[in-house]
Amino acid sequence: MRRGSPIRSTLITLLMLSPGLASFFGLFFYPMLVTIVRSLRPEGQQVGWTLQHYITFLREPRAREVIILTFVLSIASTLCSMLLSLPLCLVLRQKLRGHRFFRLTMLIPRVVPGLIGALGLLLLFGSRGWVNLFLMQVVPFINEPVRINYTVPGLILFYTWLYFPFTSVTTLSTLESLDPAIEEAASVSGANRWQVLRHVVIPLIMPGILAGSVLTFMAAFGAFSIPLVAGGNYRPLAVEIYRQIDFTPARWSAACARAMIMAALQVGFLTVYMRVLRRPVA
Amino acid sequence: MTLIRQYLKALWRGRRLLIYTFLLCFALLIYLPFLMIALKSIGRGWFGRLWLPPELTLDWYKWAIEVTNIPEITKNTLIIAGLAVGMATLIGIPTGWAFGRYRIPGKELLMAMILLPRMIPPIAYALGVAQIFYRLHLINTHFGVALAHVAVCAPYAILVLSATFEGLDERVLEAASVCGASPLRTFLHVVVPLILPGILSSMIFTFTTSYNEFTLTLMTYGKDTVTLPVRTYIAMGEGYWEVTSAMSILLVIPSLLVLFLIQRQVAPEKLVGGFKGV
Repeated sequence: MRRGSPIRSTLITLLMLSPGLASFFGLFFYPMLVTIVRSLRPEGQQVGWTLQHYITFLREPRAREVIILTFVLSIASTLCSMLLSLPLCLVLRQKLRGHRFFRLTMLIPRVVPGLIGALGLLLLFGSRGWVNLFLMQVVPFINEPVRINYTVPGLILFYTWLYFPFTSVTTLSTLESLDPAIEEAASVSGANRWQVLRHVVIPLIMPGILAGSVLTFMAAFGAFSIPLVAGGNYRPLAVEIYRQIDFTPARWSAACARAMIMAALQVGFLTVYMRVLRRPVA
Repeated sequence: MTLIRQYLKALWRGRRLLIYTFLLCFALLIYLPFLMIALKSIGRGWFGRLWLPPELTLDWYKWAIEVTNIPEITKNTLIIAGLAVGMATLIGIPTGWAFGRYRIPGKELLMAMILLPRMIPPIAYALGVAQIFYRLHLINTHFGVALAHVAVCAPYAILVLSATFEGLDERVLEAASVCGASPLRTFLHVVVPLILPGILSSMIFTFTTSYNEFTLTLMTYGKDTVTLPVRTYIAMGEGYWEVTSAMSILLVIPSLLVLFLIQRQVAPEKLVGGFKGV
């Protein structure tokens, strides 16, 4: 569209890119740098270098618990999201009556603030919530309310509720871009419905499911609002970081060290995960 | 033979029933929390093993509006979201245009870089943002909180807009100029109508993101810039669940309304997608 000297067009491109790059460097790169530097400073000082905060945190026996909890919550909720998304998307793909409504329903956890989702879930699954009332009235042998809130399985459930749309939307869009001719070919060749699903459809949409699961994992790993209000005594890394600066005096350096550990763990896990994913596909 | 056919038919019908049961359970799981919040917000004395609150009241809404100063907080939230949407759109249009229409060496890498803020846990850079803003005295200003929101909104706007601009067909523009339209006329009458839906959907999505943003707000807010999610959090900490529920309902209704209103115009699925080829 534009014809000019190459230098001029390069300049124009750079100029057009500059707002995006400025926001990236100013609002992400520089803050990350500040976080790194702060994590290496002695608490409350602007000079000197130390690895003290990393060492103190990693030596604490709690550190291992916190890190394991973070991984357990995010991996378990990612798996649950995949298990929920697959049947849901296979059903929604058939364009049953009212499928538009269920499609929108699928998005709702993503358009409301996580805090409110957490509030609603706490009320629903609380000892006086409808789930427990239902269990006590319908299921025999359950006379006492089942503890769901503030437990690890409960948290996994909450995480799944909040973050499964990433997986299901990606799965659904992959499923819908699937060529129906492939399935027809399989069933013409004599495969029954189950075989078509098991050997044709699922392997073909697997990349979509896995891509969605990466999104769910990232969101769940960085989850902050849900464990903050619904975690109780279970504090994953994000909440642990926030607790460092929530008190006076705020321990910024300690918080920054934990944040760097968290970012490193997430990037490390994702790198491994992607490597594992790529191998069979590529 | 007919027996087998009948049996299969019944199974088929049973399958449909099974599917609808599954969908019903799913819908209940998603909507019941909101129903619980709604009931909590209009109920009084709802203790013990009761399915419904024994007494209905609107007092909690009155409390929410009078005591927690909802109108003021809503004003803050809207100002901040508006500023964030404006800034993200101003950043997203040129950058998205460059990404969508120009040949840039290392485009994939650059795009991955721009999207990095959505992959790193927000709390990690929120710490840095908070420290920088303390130094620049941007804490507790509407502009400051909005600027922090731009960190998550801008990558999003760039992504949506670059997809929009990429879809703009070169031939349509050429056709316009062949038919004798001046560049300005082409822009106003051809380009703008074509890209407007994309810009609108980007604005709606960044607005939703900013409206719901909690982590970055919590790190940069002050007493004059409390937003609805932060106020909900504070109210939950204070332990007044009924008032919190009333506030949540007030906060959630606009989000849901927007979702149901825009679903036909812009594919709301885009709201959660975003990473091509992850």
